[in-house]
Amino acid sequence: MSDTIKLADLKKGEARCPGAPSTQDIIAADKVAAPGWVRSESYQFLGDEDISKDRYIDPAYAKKEITSLWAKTWQFACREEHIPSVGDYHVYDLGPYSFIITRVAENDIRAYYNACLHRGTKLRASGTEGNAEEFKCSFHGWTWNIDGTHKETLCPWDFPHVEFKKLTLPEAKVERLGGFVFINMDKDAPTLAEYLGPAAKSHIDAWKLENRYIYLHVSKRLPCNWKLAIDAFLEAYHVIETHPQVAPSNGDANTQYDVYGEHVNRFISPLGVVSPHLYGKISEQDVLNQFTLGDSSAMGDTKLSVKDGGTARAVMAEMFRGMFEKATNTDLSKVSDSELLDCFSYTVFPNIFLFPGISLPMIYRFRPDPRDHRKCIYEVLFMRPLPLDGNRPMPAEPIHLEDHQSFCEAEGMDPGFGAILDQDTDNLILQQEGLEASAKPGLTLGNYQEIRVRHFERAVDKYVKPNS
Amino acid sequence: MSTETSAASAQFERVLKLADLPAGSKKAVEINGKCVLVCNVNSKLFAISNICSHNEKPLERGRLGNGWIACPTHGARFDLATGAALNLPAKLPVATFEVRTTDEWIEVLV
Ligand code: FES
Ligand code: FES
Ligand SMILES: [Fe+2]
Repeated sequence: MSDTIKLADLKKGEARCPGAPSTQDIIAADKVAAPGWVRSESYQFLGDEDISKDRYIDPAYAKKEITSLWAKTWQFACREEHIPSVGDYHVYDLGPYSFIITRVAENDIRAYYNACLHRGTKLRASGTEGNAEEFKCSFHGWTWNIDGTHKETLCPWDFPHVEFKKLTLPEAKVERLGGFVFINMDKDAPTLAEYLGPAAKSHIDAWKLENRYIYLHVSKRLPCNWKLAIDAFLEAYHVIETHPQVAPSNGDANTQYDVYGEHVNRFISPLGVVSPHLYGKISEQDVLNQFTLGDSSAMGDTKLSVKDGGTARAVMAEMFRGMFEKATNTDLSKVSDSELLDCFSYTVFPNIFLFPGISLPMIYRFRPDPRDHRKCIYEVLFMRPLPLDGNRPMPAEPIHLEDHQSFCEAEGMDPGFGAILDQDTDNLILQQEGLEASAKPGLTLGNYQEIRVRHFERAVDKYVKPNS
Repeated sequence: MSTETSAASAQFERVLKLADLPAGSKKAVEINGKCVLVCNVNSKLFAISNICSHNEKPLERGRLGNGWIACPTHGARFDLATGAALNLPAKLPVATFEVRTTDEWIEVLV
């Protein structure tokens, strides 16, 4: 059927991988049906002009982003589990900015600008956590209560010109969603719900990510601009060339792409099905054998086989449910095949990815390196459902890899997944250098498979306003 | 070397009943004139000097994390196993002590 479709008859953005079932077709054939947030589509054609490359290579552009983009957007600062008790704090840094995210009361979390109001010393060192009964500066000892009000100053007789009552620590806005603490430096920012929009918010609400905990947290500096790193994870178009080992069990060319409002987009990349690029070349049993998992440590050494007429995807779903239930001590009986198998990748602008699936339960966060626009800080946090006994384990400490290290060297990282991240990183250094060397002023994007890149860069444009 | 095991006179001293130090808790004790903080984190026992190397404030009201304690005064963190300072404003390590359990007692080598 699709062979006879003339591409010229389609409007821009309407073409899909010829001869392959859609992601929705694949999911509709599953045994345990998927919820509404999975079974919907929200693609939009957003133009086909090139994306300017200065955003990736111009240090002045990166400087502009600090005040126009980072100071105006909602950002994931930490998880609530990082600050479980009153007085607990977590220092969140973004470029030159730093905040002390503090639980002031059981249901009151604040984000203080991390600087003493005397002569500016950071009240807490970057990248740290702890518990405070007060925030005392290590320079001259000026002290604030954990609710941000001024507590004491050495030799107050010398500061008759300071109104200590008004000397409250300045705050950024804070909102909580799904166990995440978000902050926004812009006093006029929309609420987080408005920022996400009703559709995306309803998806995030449905995942109940507050019931997960961080069991592995790995951080590494990547050799490229932060936006190039994000772009590289926004499409499955690169899978066959960059990660050929994955293609036998990943519906890459028939992955589904959706956009929601200005700040959220997603793909659903079906796993346990063969890539359309490999149709006729491999069997269902091959698909099963080559399935690469983010969390295969939970699976043990079980060997699976596809019975005559069956599909790899059906076998995977059945086995996964049992194995993940056992390994993580959770009840997954109502969880759909799709949620167990598929890769759901959501972006919340500007810098996080949420992967609410069970087989790839992750968060990515990307932050610019304030000293070098050609570098960024990447973190991957693996989430697991809380154990049935209800006890919340402490969140894993971040493992900081050196620039030269492989992701596989992080203890607890699945080697298959670590190898994928290494492949992505190697492309990125070549892309950063190539863009700087290129005679072409822009980047060209596919209308469907690269819609998330266009959507994301449009939001960048909106905040940074290239011609202002 | 931050672990004080060299003194010839060093010996294990009973400090606490194991049952009196549930998971996630800590207790300051004085052993032979030394202020020691005994901690139970993720079912592992640690003994560390109770005195912060930055400004000599007690660590005992600090937060226990995965393998560290944070000084409540200015937030320096120390590795519970090695005593190494993990962040400013501390740079110097604090002493750590060997711990063992015998007959339901926690014993510290001082
Ligand atoms: S700079 Fe903080 S007290 Fe002086
Ligand atoms: S006294 Fe401990 S950090 Fe200053
Ligand atoms: Fe990739």
